[in-house]
Amino acid sequence: MVRAMLTAEEIQILATSLGVAGRAVLFSLPIAIAFAWALSRPKFPGKWIVDAVAHLPLVLPPVLVGYFLLLLFGVRGPLGSWLRETFGVQLAFTAEGAALATAVMAFPLMVRAIRLSFEATDRGLFEAAAVLRAGPWDRFWSMALPLAWPGVLAGAVTAFAAGLGEFGAVITFASNVEGQTQTLPLAIYSALQVPDGEETALRLAAISMTAAVTGLVLAELLQHWARRRLEA
Amino acid sequence: MSLKLREAVVRRGAFRLAADFEAPTTGVTVVFGPSGAGKSMLLSTIAGLHRLETGRVEFNDVVLEDAGAKTRVGPHARGIGLVFQDARLFPHQTVRGNIAYAERRRPAARNAPIVVEIARRLEIEELLDRPVRNLSGGERSRVALARAIVSAPELLLLDEPFAALDGRRRRAFLTLLLDLSREQSLPMMIVTHQVEEVAELADHVIAMQAGRVVGHGAAADVMARADFAALLDRRDLGARVDAAAVAGGQGGGVWIRADNVLLAAEEPRGISARNVWRGQVSSILREPDGAALVSLATNAGYISSRITPEALADLQLEEGATAWAVVKSHAL
Repeated sequence: MVRAMLTAEEIQILATSLGVAGRAVLFSLPIAIAFAWALSRPKFPGKWIVDAVAHLPLVLPPVLVGYFLLLLFGVRGPLGSWLRETFGVQLAFTAEGAALATAVMAFPLMVRAIRLSFEATDRGLFEAAAVLRAGPWDRFWSMALPLAWPGVLAGAVTAFAAGLGEFGAVITFASNVEGQTQTLPLAIYSALQVPDGEETALRLAAISMTAAVTGLVLAELLQHWARRRLEA
Repeated sequence: MSLKLREAVVRRGAFRLAADFEAPTTGVTVVFGPSGAGKSMLLSTIAGLHRLETGRVEFNDVVLEDAGAKTRVGPHARGIGLVFQDARLFPHQTVRGNIAYAERRRPAARNAPIVVEIARRLEIEELLDRPVRNLSGGERSRVALARAIVSAPELLLLDEPFAALDGRRRRAFLTLLLDLSREQSLPMMIVTHQVEEVAELADHVIAMQAGRVVGHGAAADVMARADFAALLDRRDLGARVDAAAVAGGQGGGVWIRADNVLLAAEEPRGISARNVWRGQVSSILREPDGAALVSLATNAGYISSRITPEALADLQLEEGATAWAVVKSHAL
Protein backbone atom coordinates (compact mmCIF):
# COMPACT_ATOMS: atom_id res chain seq x y z
CA MET A 1 0.00 0.00 0.00
CA VAL A 2 2.82 2.33 0.96
CA ARG A 3 4.47 1.62 -2.40
CA ALA A 4 1.32 2.57 -4.24
CA MET A 5 1.06 5.89 -2.45
CA LEU A 6 4.68 7.01 -2.31
CA THR A 7 7.35 7.49 -4.94
CA ALA A 8 10.62 5.57 -4.74
CA GLU A 9 12.34 8.75 -3.72
CA GLU A 10 9.88 9.40 -0.89
CA ILE A 11 10.25 5.85 0.37
CA GLN A 12 14.02 6.38 0.40
CA ILE A 13 13.61 9.58 2.45
CA LEU A 14 11.20 7.95 4.85
CA ALA A 15 13.54 4.98 5.27
CA THR A 16 16.48 7.30 5.99
CA SER A 17 14.39 9.15 8.58
CA LEU A 18 13.17 5.99 10.28
CA GLY A 19 16.69 4.55 10.27
CA VAL A 20 18.24 7.67 11.72
CA ALA A 21 15.59 8.13 14.41
CA GLY A 22 15.57 4.40 15.22
CA ARG A 23 19.31 4.19 15.69
CA ALA A 24 19.32 7.42 17.66
CA VAL A 25 16.82 6.01 20.17
CA LEU A 26 18.43 2.59 20.33
CA PHE A 27 21.86 3.89 21.20
CA SER A 28 20.90 6.66 23.54
CA LEU A 29 18.22 4.72 25.44
CA PRO A 30 20.59 2.90 27.85
CA ILE A 31 22.40 6.17 28.59
CA ALA A 32 19.09 7.98 29.05
CA ILE A 33 17.96 5.27 31.49
CA ALA A 34 21.18 5.66 33.47
CA PHE A 35 20.79 9.45 33.61
CA ALA A 36 17.11 9.21 34.50
CA TRP A 37 17.85 6.74 37.28
CA ALA A 38 20.58 8.93 38.71
CA LEU A 39 18.32 11.98 38.58
CA SER A 40 15.44 10.16 40.25
CA ARG A 41 17.61 9.35 43.26
CA PRO A 42 17.65 11.56 46.33
CA LYS A 43 20.29 14.27 46.36
CA PHE A 44 23.87 13.32 45.62
CA PRO A 45 26.93 15.51 45.06
CA GLY A 46 27.10 16.76 41.50
CA LYS A 47 23.44 16.01 40.79
CA TRP A 48 22.93 19.51 39.35
CA ILE A 49 25.74 18.89 36.85
CA VAL A 50 24.11 15.65 35.65
CA ASP A 51 20.79 17.50 35.46
CA ALA A 52 22.31 20.36 33.45
CA VAL A 53 24.11 18.04 31.03
CA ALA A 54 20.93 16.06 30.41
CA HIS A 55 18.92 19.19 29.66
CA LEU A 56 21.51 21.17 27.70
CA PRO A 57 20.33 20.10 24.22
CA LEU A 58 16.88 21.38 25.12
CA VAL A 59 18.06 24.96 25.56
CA LEU A 60 20.96 25.17 23.10
CA PRO A 61 20.20 26.16 19.50
CA PRO A 62 20.25 22.90 17.49
CA VAL A 63 22.75 24.41 15.06
CA LEU A 64 25.09 24.91 18.00
CA VAL A 65 24.74 21.27 19.05
CA GLY A 66 25.57 20.24 15.48
CA TYR A 67 28.56 22.56 15.50
CA PHE A 68 29.84 21.16 18.81
CA LEU A 69 29.49 17.67 17.41
CA LEU A 70 31.42 18.75 14.36
CA LEU A 71 34.20 20.14 16.57
CA LEU A 72 34.35 16.90 18.58
CA PHE A 73 33.59 14.27 15.97
CA GLY A 74 34.59 16.07 12.81
CA VAL A 75 37.36 14.54 10.69
CA ARG A 76 39.92 16.63 12.55
CA GLY A 77 38.12 16.71 15.92
CA PRO A 78 39.75 14.88 18.86
CA LEU A 79 37.13 12.10 19.04
CA GLY A 80 36.54 12.03 15.29
CA SER A 81 40.18 11.42 14.42
CA TRP A 82 40.50 8.82 17.16
CA LEU A 83 37.44 6.96 15.89
CA ARG A 84 38.75 7.01 12.35
CA GLU A 85 42.23 5.80 13.26
CA THR A 86 41.05 3.13 15.71
CA PHE A 87 37.88 1.80 14.12
CA GLY A 88 37.90 3.36 10.65
CA VAL A 89 34.58 5.01 11.47
CA GLN A 90 33.55 8.42 10.27
CA LEU A 91 30.51 10.10 11.78
CA ALA A 92 30.45 13.58 10.26
CA PHE A 93 28.41 13.73 7.02
CA THR A 94 27.13 10.13 7.37
CA ALA A 95 23.83 8.55 8.35
CA GLU A 96 25.47 7.40 11.62
CA GLY A 97 26.36 11.01 12.27
CA ALA A 98 22.76 12.03 11.62
CA ALA A 99 21.71 9.40 14.17
CA LEU A 100 24.21 10.78 16.71
CA ALA A 101 22.98 14.35 16.24
CA THR A 102 19.37 13.18 16.54
CA ALA A 103 20.23 11.15 19.65
CA VAL A 104 21.76 14.16 21.37
CA MET A 105 18.75 16.33 20.56
CA ALA A 106 16.19 13.72 21.65
CA PHE A 107 18.13 12.82 24.80
CA PRO A 108 16.45 15.30 27.20
CA LEU A 109 12.99 14.15 26.07
CA MET A 110 13.83 10.57 26.88
CA VAL A 111 15.47 11.37 30.21
CA ARG A 112 12.46 13.41 31.24
CA ALA A 113 9.88 10.71 30.50
CA ILE A 114 11.93 7.93 32.04
CA ARG A 115 12.83 9.96 35.09
CA LEU A 116 9.18 10.75 35.74
CA SER A 117 8.29 7.12 35.66
CA PHE A 118 11.18 6.20 37.99
CA GLU A 119 10.04 8.93 40.36
CA ALA A 120 6.45 7.74 40.24
CA THR A 121 7.48 4.30 41.48
CA ASP A 122 6.65 3.58 45.11
CA ARG A 123 9.99 3.43 46.93
CA GLY A 124 8.38 1.16 49.49
CA LEU A 125 8.47 -1.60 46.89
CA PHE A 126 12.26 -1.35 46.73
CA GLU A 127 12.37 -1.76 50.51
CA ALA A 128 10.09 -4.78 50.24
CA ALA A 129 12.43 -6.26 47.62
CA ALA A 130 15.46 -5.49 49.79
CA VAL A 131 14.13 -7.45 52.77
CA LEU A 132 13.55 -10.38 50.39
CA ARG A 133 17.31 -10.41 49.77
CA ALA A 134 17.44 -8.36 46.58
CA GLY A 135 20.64 -6.25 46.47
CA PRO A 136 20.77 -2.78 44.88
CA TRP A 137 21.62 -4.02 41.36
CA ASP A 138 19.04 -6.78 41.61
CA ARG A 139 16.42 -4.25 42.74
CA PHE A 140 17.16 -2.07 39.72
CA TRP A 141 16.66 -4.92 37.26
CA SER A 142 13.82 -6.72 39.01
CA MET A 143 11.85 -3.74 40.37
CA ALA A 144 12.83 -0.28 39.16
CA LEU A 145 13.16 -1.09 35.48
CA PRO A 146 10.11 -3.36 35.03
CA LEU A 147 7.93 -0.92 36.98
CA ALA A 148 9.18 2.01 34.90
CA TRP A 149 9.17 0.03 31.68
CA PRO A 150 6.02 1.56 30.16
CA GLY A 151 7.47 5.01 30.85
CA VAL A 152 10.73 3.97 29.24
CA LEU A 153 8.85 2.81 26.15
CA ALA A 154 6.78 5.97 26.04
CA GLY A 155 9.96 8.06 26.35
CA ALA A 156 11.56 6.11 23.52
CA VAL A 157 8.54 6.52 21.26
CA THR A 158 8.31 10.25 21.95
CA ALA A 159 12.01 10.62 21.27
CA PHE A 160 11.63 8.62 18.08
CA ALA A 161 8.78 10.80 16.86
CA ALA A 162 10.70 13.96 17.70
CA GLY A 163 13.83 12.46 16.12
CA LEU A 164 12.06 12.11 12.79
CA GLY A 165 11.84 15.88 12.67
CA GLU A 166 15.30 16.89 13.88
CA PHE A 167 16.73 19.52 11.53
CA GLY A 168 19.36 21.96 12.75
CA ALA A 169 21.78 19.60 14.43
CA VAL A 170 21.51 17.04 11.63
CA ILE A 171 22.11 19.45 8.75
CA THR A 172 25.05 21.02 10.54
CA PHE A 173 26.78 17.80 11.55
CA ALA A 174 25.68 15.31 8.89
CA SER A 175 24.84 17.68 6.05
CA ASN A 176 22.04 17.13 3.54
CA VAL A 177 23.17 14.25 1.34
CA GLU A 178 20.43 12.70 -0.77
CA GLY A 179 19.95 9.02 -0.08
CA GLN A 180 22.27 9.13 2.97
CA THR A 181 21.55 11.83 5.48
CA GLN A 182 18.53 13.44 3.88
CA THR A 183 15.75 12.90 6.40
CA LEU A 184 12.18 14.19 6.01
CA PRO A 185 12.72 17.72 7.29
CA LEU A 186 15.90 18.08 5.24
CA ALA A 187 14.07 16.88 2.13
CA ILE A 188 11.26 19.35 2.77
CA TYR A 189 13.83 22.09 3.15
CA SER A 190 15.51 21.07 -0.14
CA ALA A 191 12.18 20.91 -1.94
CA LEU A 192 11.37 24.43 -0.85
CA GLN A 193 14.67 25.67 -2.28
CA VAL A 194 13.79 24.65 -5.85
CA PRO A 195 11.14 26.32 -8.01
CA ASP A 196 7.89 24.28 -8.24
CA GLY A 197 8.99 22.18 -5.30
CA GLU A 198 5.88 23.05 -3.34
CA GLU A 199 3.95 19.91 -4.20
CA THR A 200 6.87 17.70 -3.22
CA ALA A 201 7.22 19.60 0.01
CA LEU A 202 3.51 19.23 0.79
CA ARG A 203 3.59 15.48 0.19
CA LEU A 204 6.65 15.13 2.40
CA ALA A 205 5.00 17.27 5.05
CA ALA A 206 1.99 14.94 5.05
CA ILE A 207 4.26 11.91 5.53
CA SER A 208 6.11 13.68 8.30
CA MET A 209 2.88 14.64 10.08
CA THR A 210 1.53 11.10 9.83
CA ALA A 211 4.68 9.63 11.31
CA ALA A 212 4.81 12.13 14.16
CA VAL A 213 1.14 11.79 15.09
CA THR A 214 1.38 7.99 14.99
CA GLY A 215 4.29 8.22 17.39
CA LEU A 216 2.42 10.50 19.78
CA VAL A 217 -0.68 8.33 19.82
CA LEU A 218 1.47 5.28 20.46
CA ALA A 219 3.23 7.01 23.37
CA GLU A 220 -0.12 8.04 24.86
CA LEU A 221 -1.48 4.50 24.58
CA LEU A 222 1.62 3.14 26.29
CA GLN A 223 1.27 5.60 29.17
CA HIS A 224 -2.36 4.65 29.56
CA TRP A 225 -1.55 0.96 29.58
CA ALA A 226 1.21 1.58 32.12
CA ARG A 227 -1.07 3.41 34.51
CA ARG A 228 -3.67 0.67 34.32
CA ARG A 229 -1.14 -2.05 34.85
CA LEU A 230 0.40 -0.48 37.93
CA GLU A 231 -2.77 0.60 39.68
CA ALA A 232 -2.60 -1.64 42.66
CA MET B 1 20.89 -16.30 70.05
CA SER B 2 19.79 -12.73 70.45
CA LEU B 3 19.13 -9.40 68.89
CA LYS B 4 20.94 -6.50 70.51
CA LEU B 5 20.45 -2.82 69.99
CA ARG B 6 23.01 -0.78 71.83
CA GLU B 7 22.36 2.94 72.26
CA ALA B 8 20.86 2.93 68.82
CA VAL B 9 19.47 6.26 67.65
CA VAL B 10 17.64 6.85 64.38
CA ARG B 11 16.19 10.15 63.27
CA ARG B 12 13.51 10.66 60.66
CA GLY B 13 12.43 14.24 60.29
CA ALA B 14 11.42 15.40 63.75
CA PHE B 15 11.01 11.87 65.09
CA ARG B 16 13.79 10.32 67.12
CA LEU B 17 13.94 6.65 67.99
CA ALA B 18 16.25 5.54 70.79
CA ALA B 19 16.57 1.87 71.64
CA ASP B 20 18.81 -0.09 73.92
CA PHE B 21 17.77 -3.67 74.61
CA GLU B 22 18.53 -7.30 74.06
CA ALA B 23 15.82 -9.72 72.95
CA PRO B 24 16.15 -13.46 72.48
CA THR B 25 15.77 -14.58 68.87
CA THR B 26 13.62 -17.55 69.74
CA GLY B 27 9.86 -17.75 69.87
CA VAL B 28 7.75 -14.66 69.51
CA THR B 29 8.63 -11.18 70.66
CA VAL B 30 5.87 -8.62 70.61
CA VAL B 31 6.58 -4.93 70.21
CA PHE B 32 3.80 -3.05 71.98
CA GLY B 33 2.98 0.59 72.49
CA PRO B 34 0.55 3.36 71.61
CA SER B 35 0.48 4.63 68.05
CA GLY B 36 3.35 6.98 67.30
CA ALA B 37 5.61 5.13 69.75
CA GLY B 38 8.04 4.19 66.97
CA LYS B 39 7.21 0.48 66.71
CA SER B 40 7.28 0.34 62.90
CA MET B 41 10.43 2.39 62.82
CA LEU B 42 12.07 -0.01 65.26
CA LEU B 43 11.33 -2.89 62.88
CA SER B 44 12.62 -1.11 59.81
CA THR B 45 15.74 -0.11 61.70
CA ILE B 46 16.41 -3.74 62.60
CA ALA B 47 15.78 -4.73 58.97
CA GLY B 48 18.34 -2.14 57.86
CA LEU B 49 16.04 0.31 56.11
CA HIS B 50 17.12 3.28 58.24
CA ARG B 51 20.67 4.32 58.89
CA LEU B 52 21.73 4.54 62.55
CA GLU B 53 22.85 7.93 63.71
CA THR B 54 24.69 6.39 66.63
CA GLY B 55 24.87 2.97 68.24
CA ARG B 56 24.96 -0.60 67.12
CA VAL B 57 22.78 -3.50 66.01
CA GLU B 58 23.90 -7.09 66.56
CA PHE B 59 22.08 -10.21 65.49
CA ASN B 60 23.19 -13.62 66.75
CA ASP B 61 26.62 -12.15 67.55
CA VAL B 62 27.11 -10.65 64.10
CA VAL B 63 27.42 -6.87 63.96
CA LEU B 64 24.88 -5.70 61.39
CA GLU B 65 25.48 -2.05 61.86
CA ASP B 66 27.85 0.08 63.89
CA ALA B 67 27.54 3.82 63.40
CA GLY B 68 30.86 4.41 65.18
CA ALA B 69 32.85 1.94 63.10
CA LYS B 70 30.87 2.85 59.97
CA THR B 71 30.06 -0.79 59.27
CA ARG B 72 26.70 -1.58 57.82
CA VAL B 73 25.20 -4.72 56.36
CA GLY B 74 22.57 -3.85 53.73
CA PRO B 75 18.95 -4.92 54.26
CA HIS B 76 19.28 -7.58 51.55
CA ALA B 77 22.16 -9.28 53.32
CA ARG B 78 20.80 -9.38 56.89
CA GLY B 79 18.67 -12.48 56.59
CA ILE B 80 15.91 -10.57 58.36
CA GLY B 81 12.47 -10.57 56.75
CA LEU B 82 9.89 -7.83 57.20
CA VAL B 83 6.17 -7.92 56.51
CA PHE B 84 5.01 -4.34 56.06
CA GLN B 85 1.70 -3.14 57.37
CA ASP B 86 0.69 -2.13 53.83
CA ALA B 87 1.83 -5.50 52.37
CA ARG B 88 3.80 -3.87 49.53
CA LEU B 89 3.07 -6.53 46.95
CA PHE B 90 4.80 -6.09 43.62
CA PRO B 91 2.11 -4.74 41.28
CA HIS B 92 3.73 -6.00 38.08
CA GLN B 93 3.57 -9.61 39.18
CA THR B 94 0.90 -12.15 40.06
CA VAL B 95 0.52 -13.59 43.55
CA ARG B 96 2.67 -16.51 42.46
CA GLY B 97 5.22 -14.13 40.95
CA ASN B 98 5.45 -12.28 44.25
CA ILE B 99 6.12 -15.47 46.16
CA ALA B 100 8.53 -16.77 43.52
CA TYR B 101 10.50 -13.53 43.85
CA ALA B 102 11.31 -14.52 47.41
CA GLU B 103 11.90 -18.15 46.52
CA ARG B 104 14.47 -17.35 43.82
CA ARG B 105 16.55 -15.27 46.19
CA ARG B 106 16.53 -17.69 49.09
CA PRO B 107 19.93 -19.17 49.87
CA ALA B 108 20.08 -22.84 48.93
CA ALA B 109 21.27 -23.89 52.35
CA ARG B 110 18.17 -22.59 54.13
CA ASN B 111 15.64 -25.15 55.20
CA ALA B 112 13.06 -24.34 52.57
CA PRO B 113 9.35 -23.97 53.24
CA ILE B 114 7.25 -25.37 50.39
CA VAL B 115 5.30 -22.73 48.48
CA VAL B 116 2.10 -24.72 47.91
CA GLU B 117 2.05 -25.82 51.53
CA ILE B 118 2.40 -22.27 52.82
CA ALA B 119 -0.21 -21.07 50.30
CA ARG B 120 -2.63 -23.75 51.44
CA ARG B 121 -2.21 -22.93 55.12
CA LEU B 122 -2.70 -19.22 54.49
CA GLU B 123 -5.71 -19.92 52.25
CA ILE B 124 -4.34 -18.16 49.21
CA GLU B 125 -3.99 -21.20 46.94
CA GLU B 126 -6.91 -20.05 44.80
CA LEU B 127 -5.31 -16.66 44.33
CA LEU B 128 -1.93 -17.79 43.06
CA ASP B 129 -2.50 -16.87 39.43
CA ARG B 130 -4.35 -13.64 40.10
CA PRO B 131 -2.78 -10.21 39.62
CA VAL B 132 -2.30 -8.56 43.00
CA ARG B 133 -4.33 -5.44 42.23
CA ASN B 134 -7.67 -7.20 42.71
CA LEU B 135 -6.94 -8.65 46.13
CA SER B 136 -8.73 -7.55 49.28
CA GLY B 137 -6.80 -6.11 52.21
CA GLY B 138 -6.89 -9.39 54.11
CA GLU B 139 -5.71 -11.33 51.07
CA ARG B 140 -2.87 -8.92 50.49
CA SER B 141 -1.58 -9.30 54.03
CA ARG B 142 -1.64 -13.08 53.73
CA VAL B 143 0.23 -13.01 50.42
CA ALA B 144 2.81 -10.70 51.99
CA LEU B 145 3.20 -13.15 54.87
CA ALA B 146 3.54 -16.13 52.51
CA ARG B 147 6.17 -14.27 50.52
CA ALA B 148 8.16 -13.48 53.66
CA ILE B 149 7.99 -17.03 55.01
CA VAL B 150 9.05 -18.53 51.67
CA SER B 151 12.08 -16.25 51.79
CA ALA B 152 13.18 -18.28 54.87
CA PRO B 153 14.67 -15.45 56.91
CA GLU B 154 16.44 -16.08 60.18
CA LEU B 155 14.16 -13.62 61.92
CA LEU B 156 10.80 -12.41 60.67
CA LEU B 157 9.53 -8.95 61.61
CA LEU B 158 5.81 -8.34 61.22
CA ASP B 159 4.19 -4.92 61.38
CA GLU B 160 0.59 -5.35 62.53
CA PRO B 161 -0.09 -8.42 60.44
CA PHE B 162 -3.74 -9.08 59.62
CA ALA B 163 -4.81 -5.60 60.69
CA ALA B 164 -7.12 -5.79 57.66
CA LEU B 165 -8.90 -8.91 58.92
CA ASP B 166 -11.94 -8.99 61.17
CA GLY B 167 -11.72 -10.33 64.72
CA ARG B 168 -12.41 -14.03 64.29
CA ARG B 169 -10.35 -14.53 61.11
CA ARG B 170 -7.60 -12.45 62.57
CA ARG B 171 -7.39 -14.70 65.61
CA ALA B 172 -7.31 -17.81 63.44
CA PHE B 173 -4.42 -16.45 61.41
CA LEU B 174 -2.53 -15.30 64.47
CA THR B 175 -2.78 -18.83 65.84
CA LEU B 176 -1.52 -20.08 62.48
CA LEU B 177 1.33 -17.60 62.72
CA LEU B 178 2.36 -19.11 66.06
CA ASP B 179 2.23 -22.59 64.55
CA LEU B 180 4.36 -21.54 61.59
CA SER B 181 6.88 -19.90 63.86
CA ARG B 182 7.24 -23.13 65.79
CA GLU B 183 7.28 -25.48 62.78
CA GLN B 184 9.75 -23.47 60.74
CA SER B 185 11.82 -22.63 63.85
CA LEU B 186 11.34 -19.07 62.67
CA PRO B 187 11.63 -16.49 65.41
CA MET B 188 9.25 -13.60 64.97
CA MET B 189 8.98 -10.05 66.18
CA ILE B 190 5.45 -8.73 65.88
CA VAL B 191 4.14 -5.19 66.24
CA THR B 192 0.66 -4.82 67.63
CA HIS B 193 -1.28 -2.30 69.63
CA GLN B 194 -3.86 -4.82 70.82
CA VAL B 195 -3.10 -5.86 74.33
CA GLU B 196 -4.95 -9.21 73.98
CA GLU B 197 -2.59 -10.15 71.17
CA VAL B 198 0.42 -9.33 73.28
CA ALA B 199 -0.78 -11.71 75.99
CA GLU B 200 -1.66 -14.42 73.50
CA LEU B 201 1.40 -14.31 71.25
CA ALA B 202 4.32 -13.04 73.23
CA ASP B 203 7.06 -15.01 74.87
CA HIS B 204 8.91 -11.76 75.16
CA VAL B 205 7.68 -8.17 75.13
CA ILE B 206 9.31 -4.91 74.07
CA ALA B 207 7.24 -2.00 75.34
CA MET B 208 7.63 1.35 73.59
CA GLN B 209 6.47 4.88 74.13
CA ALA B 210 7.34 8.15 72.43
CA GLY B 211 10.31 6.77 70.50
CA ARG B 212 11.83 4.90 73.42
CA VAL B 213 11.94 1.30 74.57
CA VAL B 214 10.50 1.58 78.06
CA GLY B 215 10.56 -2.07 79.04
CA HIS B 216 11.55 -5.47 77.75
CA GLY B 217 11.66 -8.98 79.11
CA ALA B 218 9.53 -12.11 79.50
CA ALA B 219 5.88 -11.41 78.70
CA ALA B 220 4.56 -12.38 82.13
CA ASP B 221 7.03 -10.03 83.84
CA VAL B 222 6.74 -7.01 81.57
CA MET B 223 2.96 -7.16 81.44
CA ALA B 224 2.65 -7.24 85.21
CA ARG B 225 4.58 -4.01 85.63
CA ALA B 226 3.03 -0.64 86.40
CA ASP B 227 4.92 1.02 83.52
CA PHE B 228 3.24 -1.41 81.13
CA ALA B 229 -0.18 -0.48 82.50
CA ALA B 230 0.79 3.14 81.89
CA LEU B 231 0.85 2.42 78.14
CA LEU B 232 -2.72 1.18 78.10
CA ASP B 233 -5.99 2.91 77.42
CA ARG B 234 -8.24 2.95 80.44
CA ARG B 235 -10.58 0.37 78.91
CA ASP B 236 -7.65 -1.95 78.13
CA LEU B 237 -6.47 -2.14 81.74
CA GLY B 238 -6.41 -5.65 83.10
CA ALA B 239 -4.03 -8.47 83.80
CA ARG B 240 -2.22 -11.25 81.97
CA VAL B 241 -2.99 -14.78 83.11
CA ASP B 242 -1.26 -17.89 81.82
CA ALA B 243 -3.50 -19.57 79.24
CA ALA B 244 -3.15 -22.87 81.09
CA ALA B 245 -4.92 -21.38 84.10
CA VAL B 246 -7.95 -20.28 82.09
CA ALA B 247 -10.75 -22.44 80.71
CA GLY B 248 -10.85 -21.71 76.98
CA GLY B 249 -7.50 -19.90 77.06
CA GLN B 250 -5.35 -19.95 73.92
CA GLY B 251 -1.70 -19.25 73.15
CA GLY B 252 0.74 -18.41 75.92
CA GLY B 253 -1.44 -16.11 77.93
CA VAL B 254 -4.76 -14.39 78.16
CA TRP B 255 -5.41 -10.73 78.82
CA ILE B 256 -8.35 -10.29 81.14
CA ARG B 257 -9.72 -6.75 80.98
CA ALA B 258 -10.75 -5.29 84.28
CA ASP B 259 -14.06 -4.32 82.72
CA ASN B 260 -14.87 -7.99 82.06
CA VAL B 261 -14.34 -9.18 85.61
CA LEU B 262 -17.12 -9.35 88.21
CA LEU B 263 -16.31 -9.42 91.90
CA ALA B 264 -18.17 -11.35 94.58
CA ALA B 265 -17.65 -11.13 98.31
CA GLU B 266 -18.92 -14.70 98.74
CA GLU B 267 -18.23 -17.79 96.69
CA PRO B 268 -20.62 -17.66 93.73
CA ARG B 269 -22.84 -20.73 93.17
CA GLY B 270 -25.09 -21.84 90.35
CA ILE B 271 -23.53 -19.65 87.69
CA SER B 272 -22.50 -20.50 84.15
CA ALA B 273 -19.10 -18.83 84.19
CA ARG B 274 -16.29 -21.39 84.01
CA ASN B 275 -13.59 -19.08 85.27
CA VAL B 276 -13.96 -18.27 88.92
CA TRP B 277 -10.93 -17.56 91.06
CA ARG B 278 -10.65 -16.97 94.77
CA GLY B 279 -8.10 -14.45 95.94
CA GLN B 280 -7.10 -11.71 98.33
CA VAL B 281 -7.55 -8.06 97.53
CA SER B 282 -4.03 -6.72 97.03
CA SER B 283 -4.85 -3.14 96.07
CA ILE B 284 -7.78 -0.82 95.45
CA LEU B 285 -7.15 2.13 93.12
CA ARG B 286 -9.76 4.86 92.91
CA GLU B 287 -10.06 6.34 89.43
CA PRO B 288 -10.91 10.01 88.85
CA ASP B 289 -14.59 9.25 88.12
CA GLY B 290 -14.96 7.28 91.36
CA ALA B 291 -14.72 3.78 89.83
CA ALA B 292 -12.36 1.44 91.60
CA LEU B 293 -9.74 -0.85 90.12
CA VAL B 294 -9.52 -3.79 92.50
CA SER B 295 -6.57 -6.12 92.15
CA LEU B 296 -6.89 -9.69 93.41
CA ALA B 297 -3.99 -12.05 94.10
CA THR B 298 -5.25 -15.48 92.98
CA ASN B 299 -3.54 -18.79 92.26
CA ALA B 300 -3.72 -17.87 88.55
CA GLY B 301 -1.85 -14.62 89.23
CA TYR B 302 -3.12 -11.10 89.67
CA ILE B 303 -6.55 -10.35 88.25
CA SER B 304 -8.06 -6.90 88.30
CA SER B 305 -11.63 -5.78 88.16
CA ARG B 306 -13.18 -2.38 87.62
CA ILE B 307 -16.27 -1.79 89.75
CA THR B 308 -18.53 1.16 90.42
CA PRO B 309 -18.24 3.13 93.66
CA GLU B 310 -21.64 1.71 94.72
CA ALA B 311 -20.46 -1.86 94.18
CA LEU B 312 -17.32 -1.15 96.16
CA ALA B 313 -19.44 0.11 99.07
CA ASP B 314 -21.84 -2.88 98.85
CA LEU B 315 -19.07 -5.46 98.79
CA GLN B 316 -17.25 -3.75 101.66
CA LEU B 317 -13.90 -4.72 100.18
CA GLU B 318 -10.63 -3.65 101.66
CA GLU B 319 -7.03 -4.74 101.24
CA GLY B 320 -6.47 -8.30 102.45
CA ALA B 321 -10.14 -9.27 102.18
CA THR B 322 -11.11 -12.47 100.38
CA ALA B 323 -13.11 -12.14 97.17
CA TRP B 324 -14.01 -14.08 94.03
CA ALA B 325 -13.29 -12.95 90.49
CA VAL B 326 -15.72 -14.16 87.81
CA VAL B 327 -14.97 -14.00 84.08
CA LYS B 328 -17.29 -14.98 81.25
CA SER B 329 -15.52 -17.27 78.79
CA HIS B 330 -16.85 -15.06 76.02
CA ALA B 331 -14.63 -12.25 77.30
CA LEU B 332 -11.43 -14.25 76.79
